[in-house]
Amino acid sequence: MSSLLWMHMRMEGKAVSTTLRKANGELWVDLSGEKTFSAMKESLVKQLNSLDDYLLGTLVSIDVGSKQLTEKQVREIEDILLDHGLHLKGFMNSKSNSRDTANSDKPVLEGMPEYAETLLLCRHLRSGQKVYSNGNLVILGDINPGAEVVARGNILVMGSLRGIAHAGAGGDTSAVVAAYRLNPTQIRIANHITRPPDGEVVTNSDPEVARIRDGKVIIEKLKI
Amino acid sequence: MKGKVIVITSGKGGVGKTTTTANLGTALAMMGNKVVLVDTDIGLRNLDVVMGLENRIVFDIVDVVNGHCKLKQALIRDKRFESLYLLPAAQTKDKTAVTPHQMKNLTNELRKEFDIILVDCPAGIEQGFRNAIAGADDAIIVATPEVSAVRDADRIIGLLEAAGLTRARLIINRLRKSMVKRGDMMDIDDIIDILSVELLGVVPEDEMIIVSTNKGEPAVLDNNSRAGGAYRRIARRIMGEEVPLFQGDEAGNLVERFKKMIKLAR
Repeated sequence: MSSLLWMHMRMEGKAVSTTLRKANGELWVDLSGEKTFSAMKESLVKQLNSLDDYLLGTLVSIDVGSKQLTEKQVREIEDILLDHGLHLKGFMNSKSNSRDTANSDKPVLEGMPEYAETLLLCRHLRSGQKVYSNGNLVILGDINPGAEVVARGNILVMGSLRGIAHAGAGGDTSAVVAAYRLNPTQIRIANHITRPPDGEVVTNSDPEVARIRDGKVIIEKLKI
Repeated sequence: MKGKVIVITSGKGGVGKTTTTANLGTALAMMGNKVVLVDTDIGLRNLDVVMGLENRIVFDIVDVVNGHCKLKQALIRDKRFESLYLLPAAQTKDKTAVTPHQMKNLTNELRKEFDIILVDCPAGIEQGFRNAIAGADDAIIVATPEVSAVRDADRIIGLLEAAGLTRARLIINRLRKSMVKRGDMMDIDDIIDILSVELLGVVPEDEMIIVSTNKGEPAVLDNNSRAGGAYRRIARRIMGEEVPLFQGDEAGNLVERFKKMIKLAR
């Protein structure tokens, strides 16, 4: 099974009661907790009814857990969304076990953990925006101050990282944060939190990587 | 011709949204466009004050959307330009008195009559902001060269993108060249680097703006005003003209120019 993208705005570790949220101009609906298709529909309708018309035309992604929907069921979901002026973007399966352990490709960075899932984001993240990835997270753009990226795996920013990055959010201390320009507000790896020293303005122009060594977050030049 | 709705917003308060709206509106009307300024800062209206039209208000935007009066009755014609109108905000209500849906209808109504509809957005990201952007085709972000203003502008650009307004353009307001030179103020490149949006114009810090807003006379009317000149150039750029960001006047005094010439000669 192909790698699955699953984005969720939530505090790591804490379950959230509402399962509908807005991220990056799209809606994400989590229906993975519903057991039957009719329960899923019911929950979807209930959540969409709570929206205001400000979201008209928005794309919606739906997490259906481990379920596979039939064509007819997909159409039914589409109809429900259209009734609310929304468009279906796609489905995700957050709960299926799709990690491909047979994959023996060597990781680019030595000691970097492997995650089957990678979320690729081709845009800037601006203040107030937050992205969560269940595996790795690759951003082709900047992370501005006030924005936050969280991944259970590694984070790679092909741009400036000026906001907060949290790699290894599931507790993986071997996760790394790499950025083309690493000027973060804060870097978190697993349960370590670190920030740049006060008053020191370092302007670096080389790609760098942050990782845990000897129980401390250290930053070094990115060597591939 | 169908009019264009442009929302002028910033997130942070006090960066010059209202001044920018008043000046750009006046400049665009001077160029022969039929322009209406819509003040959506319900409860804290002041665009009318800056335009010097406060004493002409009878009906306001809330009266219009609630059907208490016709749109034409609430529109106030500017005292200087026949093609410039103002739709004032209500002062006695709050931002929830209008919904985004009503705003959309209102702007569509205005499109029929006007070439350009400038919407002055309140500070913040709550309902007032959502109302203001509801019917907009384009957005202009105003930010001063301060970290806090740039941060808020960044947030606003994100919210605009989420609402489908992906081509926001930036006006940097109250730039002090001397402070930038000393390294005490963010420079234009720093700001564009963070926000990565198109730069529409730069307005220099100008004390005279305070005088002109107090008098209710937009600075663009004064040919000697530095800020006014910058706004006139921005207005031309809005109309699609190719105008340089800076004009000779911003090089300021003779000494500066001399220095430049020496540099060039080397």
